[in-house]
Amino acid sequence: MTTRSFTRRALIAAGLTLAALPALALDVETYAGKVTVEGTPSKVAVFDIAALDTLLAIGVMPSGIPENLYLPELSDLKGKAEVVGDIFEPDLEALSALAPDLIIVGGRSSGKEKETVKVAPSLDMTMDGVNVVDQARERAFTYGAILGKQVEAEKAVADFDAALARAKAAVQGKGKGLILMTNGPKITAYGIDSRFGWVHKALDLPPAVEDVEAATHGEPVSFEFIAKANPDWLLVLDRAAAIGANDQNAKATLDNALVAETTAWKSGQVIYLPSADFYIAAGGLKATERVLATIEVGFSASQ
Amino acid sequence: MSAIADTHHRRVMIGAGLCLALLVVMSLAIGVQELSLSGTEGTMPFADLMAISRLPRTLAAVLCGAGLAVAGQIMQTLTRNRFVEPSTAGTAQSAALGILIVTLFLPAAGLGLKALVASGCALAGTALFLATAHRLPPEQPHLVPLFGLVYGGVVGAAVTYVAWQTDLLQYLDIWTNGEFSGVLKGRYELLFVAVVIVAAAMLIADRLTIMALGEDQATSLGIDYRRMTQIGLVLVSVMSALSVVVVGLIPFVGLVVPNLVSRISGDNLRGTLPLVALGGAILVLASDIAGRVMRFPYEIPVGTVMGVIGPAVFLWFILRERRDA
Repeated sequence: MTTRSFTRRALIAAGLTLAALPALALDVETYAGKVTVEGTPSKVAVFDIAALDTLLAIGVMPSGIPENLYLPELSDLKGKAEVVGDIFEPDLEALSALAPDLIIVGGRSSGKEKETVKVAPSLDMTMDGVNVVDQARERAFTYGAILGKQVEAEKAVADFDAALARAKAAVQGKGKGLILMTNGPKITAYGIDSRFGWVHKALDLPPAVEDVEAATHGEPVSFEFIAKANPDWLLVLDRAAAIGANDQNAKATLDNALVAETTAWKSGQVIYLPSADFYIAAGGLKATERVLATIEVGFSASQ
Repeated sequence: MSAIADTHHRRVMIGAGLCLALLVVMSLAIGVQELSLSGTEGTMPFADLMAISRLPRTLAAVLCGAGLAVAGQIMQTLTRNRFVEPSTAGTAQSAALGILIVTLFLPAAGLGLKALVASGCALAGTALFLATAHRLPPEQPHLVPLFGLVYGGVVGAAVTYVAWQTDLLQYLDIWTNGEFSGVLKGRYELLFVAVVIVAAAMLIADRLTIMALGEDQATSLGIDYRRMTQIGLVLVSVMSALSVVVVGLIPFVGLVVPNLVSRISGDNLRGTLPLVALGGAILVLASDIAGRVMRFPYEIPVGTVMGVIGPAVFLWFILRERRDA
């Protein structure tokens, strides 16, 4: 046996072992059921802002991103990754050109994994909104496991939990809250079982109105309703998120004689939530941390 | 008008007036806050609550209803077609486009500026509709409403496209869906322009009646057809835009009310326009009260209520007409 053929055999053997190593298969619990992910994907395309936010939080730099990133914190991603569609609709051509190893859809692009799976293994990571906090953690761990970022995921979730604990402590014993969304001159109220109800549940914030029904877009209410509910705290989201002039618009809508009757308004206990973080990136680790921080700061200001 | 018809008309007017008065009282009495004359702990004093919330809401519904019904009547006269109204012929959609433009470029603009831009867009949109509608063959009257629906759909699609691109779709949806929940003192006063519009329509009622005969007849009877069309156009556009800006789109009012009134009292607008205005006020106020009561203390937008009532009344009307024929 020559040295040369020995070396070649050794190389082949080593190559075989290496090839066998990443052939791990991971069962992932997604919104659309169980999906098996093979190996460790390195090129990821993302269509959901919450997923994108969490991926960045655990140190994963995606290769494909949606056109509009909504959050100012994500704006420096522009140019660093390929645009492969928007949050509603993947651009299958751009996606094929990118040829990612894994595609993550969710939220507004929920269900589109049926199309994107033709390009690469795809996961629908929509959160059902019942318990946004638990799901935010769960998603972070899942991404960590798939993408080999377990340690980073642990760390990011620990930060998240700390922010949650701080907000919860700030909220305790400060009275009842009501979540409102303003749309131009009109308002809708959100109850404990709505898409925003997790704020009440996760922070133990008692609702000012017990039975606001779980309409996805809230219940249209009058200003008399708010005056009657008389919340100690108003948590306000302005739907005109795209324009960015959040406080001004929502403040102008709420600034009237009836809302002025409430304890919340009298005591200056009106908190304007960061709309894109709260509404578009709901359940993203960092985005939700910013929402929690806004609530913490707001509640801490009062005694 | 003969003496008998005159008595009949007067009776209808009195009946409608009483009906509206009753609805106004109901509207003032219904709301989430309890009424208390003394102003006990936690509730607003009676007079304040009336002045700030109840009266503005009631007036807004009355003004909007009256104005929209009259605008619908004018539009039907101008197009010589009973199946046209501002929300089915692009006027309201054009107004919504105006709001979208203001929201995008001047987000801090007040109601006044929004109304101005919306009116301008509504005017342009309606003028284009009328100019095109007049080219349609008059022997096929159903083409006009059909064209109106297509045209309104095209303008609506443009609005949807821009709103989609700018992530304002839902914002625009809620903003343009007719609803009085946001009406308070200081936020609806623009609607008083409806009084001017209704008054102006009454001033030109006779000329409008003649215009319903068509351009040639009207011109030979001494009507400046072009000028009158322009005036009518402005009235319709301003009214629709105001409604969209202040409370949102309320469909079917301009369609149902003029048709019903025409059946009951004929087509002499000098006599029937007040009834059209009254009927519009009654319909919108009743719909708003229904929307407030059905899911108390939450609300169903008046646009949604009208979307259910309007087609029902209209279908009944069409079916009855066929049976009578």
